[in-house]
Amino acid sequence: MRIPTLRILFGKKASAASPPKDRSSVRVGIPKVLNIWSTHQFWVGFLTALGIAPENIVFSSDTSEEQYREYGKGRGTVDCCYPVKCMSGHYGELIFGQKKKIDILLSPMIYSLPSFLRGHVLDTLTCTRVMAGPENIKAGFLKERDVFAENGIRYVSPFVSLGEPEKVPKQLHLALKDVLDLDEEETARAVEAGYRALEAFTQKMRQKSREILTWCARHDRPCILVLARPYHMDPGIGHEIEAELQAHGFPILWMQYLPIDDDLMQWLFGEEIRAGRIKSPFDISDVWPSSYSSNTNEILWGAKVAARCPWITCVIRFSSYECGMDQPTYTPTQKIVEASGTLYFKFGDLDATKPAGSIKIRVETIVHYVEKYSRDLIRRKLAALPPRCPLLEDAAPTSESASLAA
Amino acid sequence: MICGIDVGSTTCKYVLASSEGEILAQAYERHNTRQAEKVLEFLTRLEREHGLTPGRDRVFFTGSGAGMIASLVGARVVQEVVAVAAAVERLHPAVRFVSEIGGEDMKTIFFTGDGSSKGKHVLMQSACSGGTGTFIEKTARKLQIPLEQLAEMRYEGYPLHKISSKCGIFAEADANTLLKAGVPVEEIIASLFEAVVYQNLATLTRGNTPMPEVLLLGGPNLFFKGLQEAWRHHLLKIWKERKVPLPEDQDPALLISVPKNALYYAALGCIEIARREPEHVGVYQGGERLRWWIEEGQYEEKKREGRRGLWTTPEELQQFRIIYGNSGRSDSRLSLRKGRTAPDLSRVILGCDFGSTTAKAVCLSPEKELVFSCYALSRGNPIEDAKALFRQIRAAVGDGEILAVGITGYGKDLLKGIIGADCAVVETIAHATAGLYVFPDADCICDVGGVDVKIMILKNGTVSDFRLNSQCSSGNGAFLQGVAERFGIPLEQIADYAFRAQAMPQLTMGCGVFLQSDIVNQQRKGWQAEEILAGLCTILPLNVWIYAGGLNNLAQVGRKFILQGGTHKNLAVVKAQVDFIKSKVPEAEIVVHPYSGEAGAIGAALIAHEWWECGGRTRFRGFDVIENLTYKTTTSPDTVCKWCPVNCQRSFIDVELPGGKGRPWSKVPLPEGWERVIVNNSCPKGLVEDVNEMKVIKAALEKTKNAYPNIADFVRKEGFRRVAT
Repeated sequence: MRIPTLRILFGKKASAASPPKDRSSVRVGIPKVLNIWSTHQFWVGFLTALGIAPENIVFSSDTSEEQYREYGKGRGTVDCCYPVKCMSGHYGELIFGQKKKIDILLSPMIYSLPSFLRGHVLDTLTCTRVMAGPENIKAGFLKERDVFAENGIRYVSPFVSLGEPEKVPKQLHLALKDVLDLDEEETARAVEAGYRALEAFTQKMRQKSREILTWCARHDRPCILVLARPYHMDPGIGHEIEAELQAHGFPILWMQYLPIDDDLMQWLFGEEIRAGRIKSPFDISDVWPSSYSSNTNEILWGAKVAARCPWITCVIRFSSYECGMDQPTYTPTQKIVEASGTLYFKFGDLDATKPAGSIKIRVETIVHYVEKYSRDLIRRKLAALPPRCPLLEDAAPTSESASLAA
Repeated sequence: MICGIDVGSTTCKYVLASSEGEILAQAYERHNTRQAEKVLEFLTRLEREHGLTPGRDRVFFTGSGAGMIASLVGARVVQEVVAVAAAVERLHPAVRFVSEIGGEDMKTIFFTGDGSSKGKHVLMQSACSGGTGTFIEKTARKLQIPLEQLAEMRYEGYPLHKISSKCGIFAEADANTLLKAGVPVEEIIASLFEAVVYQNLATLTRGNTPMPEVLLLGGPNLFFKGLQEAWRHHLLKIWKERKVPLPEDQDPALLISVPKNALYYAALGCIEIARREPEHVGVYQGGERLRWWIEEGQYEEKKREGRRGLWTTPEELQQFRIIYGNSGRSDSRLSLRKGRTAPDLSRVILGCDFGSTTAKAVCLSPEKELVFSCYALSRGNPIEDAKALFRQIRAAVGDGEILAVGITGYGKDLLKGIIGADCAVVETIAHATAGLYVFPDADCICDVGGVDVKIMILKNGTVSDFRLNSQCSSGNGAFLQGVAERFGIPLEQIADYAFRAQAMPQLTMGCGVFLQSDIVNQQRKGWQAEEILAGLCTILPLNVWIYAGGLNNLAQVGRKFILQGGTHKNLAVVKAQVDFIKSKVPEAEIVVHPYSGEAGAIGAALIAHEWWECGGRTRFRGFDVIENLTYKTTTSPDTVCKWCPVNCQRSFIDVELPGGKGRPWSKVPLPEGWERVIVNNSCPKGLVEDVNEMKVIKAALEKTKNAYPNIADFVRKEGFRRVAT
């Protein structure tokens, strides 16, 4: 668990520090919202490394209308962004809805994100409205009286630049030193543990995606890619629309966890790099020059992959009601995806209610087209790529059934 | 003397007081949308009975209808919330929260601080019927509960059901469903009160806690005992949850009060404010100008306010009729023909559309000529509907050969196996196929039916986006038809009437509940039936595209629009659609599908045709099998739907079919060789028989989901767990 560099850096302090503090009984609640959906394991890894028992790290449940009615009612704020607005339900649930009360409500203001595109794009910032969401929601619980204090809860909302790991220890130390009695060294060590946990998780998901694509390649079968912000995985925000397509027999990939292995990237982008059109597989400057927003950048990159990867024959785009970040990307993503004939369907203006009737008809419509066009599409897209597909060279699955079942 | 008059959306109220504020008289009456007349009646009465004197006494107006009337009698207008707040501050200094519910609006006022630092925070909404008095009354009327009885009905102690709190029309539909399912009216009304309080708390508190003491004002709060109970229930719950300190020696329910004169607070506030204003403000000038306005002025205003009819010049209308009058059936672009005297029906491809109100069928020749079409009204039993339809087809086709069968509409999944259809086609694909076949360059199909609006946006020959609105009544054909019926105008004559109008009133887009009262209001101003119908046709496109479809930027949709669906058989609607679309997209081309009602069936047939051309051989069971389908219907306690508290009394129609899988696990077991069709459910959930079937379905679904993974499932499952080691 110890990291040599840190020992050198903080060597003196470490020896001077008091023995490790017992935080095993401290209970921390984290609202499962917004960019927590892509940084979850960082927080779990970070808190665990500080000695907080894993069972004492509590996430709120999925967003739902019941949750908002029960816990968020009357504490709402004027915000047209539903993924931000629904947070008051999550806060309320963590404060009032826990059998074992929490001691700390941790709702980070995430300013930037660790993205695989970092270094290839201008920046990896978050949406400002999303970043400042906790401030907005907190107000509903402080307006008349301090609801946190009344319930014996410390509210902490660290401002954190997860995209710049070197800044994070200081930021988290500053925000948490009082509530958790932290020193700088252990904070730094916990931050490293957090990044490690997140990276391991992301790797695992990318591997799963690669397995799905390999299966598609071997069986000449299509899969569907979702282009969305991380929180659209929340069943109360994205309404599990992609699951209805899955039920028709299509594996579902999410842009966040596409495989980024070098062999695959070279196969998909190599020619364009050699032609000088892009500098690297992760260069999106050809389609999105103002690449500041992390999720937006990744969505655009995902669209480029979808346009090229033969077995992704259909893209599903999710967007929440009145999302100002998504707005300028609608046309570019659609154009990029459709340039190769790949099917593209958008589910826009998502909010609290799931329009089930209309979704059912749309899903059936999409299934009709995917079934009708996939075979041709796969062939056409394959013809545009170099001959040797690295996926087909992956080790053959052990069982002959070659099923994708986990 | 000072007179305060509150001109609300359903009633007018007055309070007459001496200059010292002592109350001399007060009254309220419903105005039945004749606000000006009621005010004049009040003023005349006050002059006669109480000596209200022009030039001496002062009049202050408030309420949504006050603006125009006040200026005619010299009165000053006070904003309603300001008026209510002034009265509350004077009469109830300890009140911290006020809810005033009116006929078509609702308001909340939060008072904060004390003494000189006292502030108030006001929230109000008046755009939607949800949460207002109309919301309750409209539904109660539907349930045939007289107002006197409604006033006495209670909230406490009844089981509550889910009623949409957002829209009056949805609520009415929900109440209807509950009633049909045998839920007692007492429970429905209690649920309505719940919905109103919920809507007020959800939309009009915005993060503030309603603190004691609480004052409930306005007609509905005063008259409906059940509504008061619902408020008490919710407020006490909130106070407990949020640990609001309450006086110990008092029943907290007493902190919520409804004053006897709860109706008059706005009028009382007028008097309060008048007393603070200088003597010369709001001096009454007599009722003469108001009388003139009622007798003459408002009709002149009608002319000024109105807009031209559906057309500007007779030539323009004639030109329009030439282009659209025959629905384009003779258009040369058509490859679907119906022209021959003796169509060849020896080999046909069949397309059927089983919709919610009618079932339609068409026959195509192998050359894709439309050789036959027919329809049958739906009678709620899909087997009988299918039999009726196929009897007509058989009479036409005779010994002809059925090459392929395509089927679409909501009944497609139920009937596919029973008929032996080859292609079950989702509605969008059927409509798009039919539309694109006739107009290959179309960008958008707008289908306005009787009860729903469908908008399909096309791109690269696929349906890229789809809007369905079957929930909001504004914008559908049934609403127009309903209004025409009330005027005694038959459906097929609506267009002729509407085209006769030289001018028409400007109606407001949006909520159907308010549109209804808007119509009453326009009638009162002297607008005639045909003028109102023309006005309704004019706003229909707005309701279709903007209110129901949510499409503000039509130019983004494209330039070629196909109109189809029964409502577009009405030429006046088509004219309004054409003018509206062209105003947004000047270069637009708008066409009406030549067989707008049958488009779904044609699309299904075209897809079946394609399947047949690719070598498909039909599984059609044959006319004899369909005619002789043996089925039994079970309607019993065992068929009641248990998925939600509505408990729909469904029926099971069991059909004997070779190869039927049967349902051995069912409460109404079905042997092999039989298939079950479930009807009389009010939502899709009811198509699943019970928990047992759900288990069967879930197991199958889980299997599919395991075979075809979704990365999000892993994230949901593993992302929030302890770090894997």
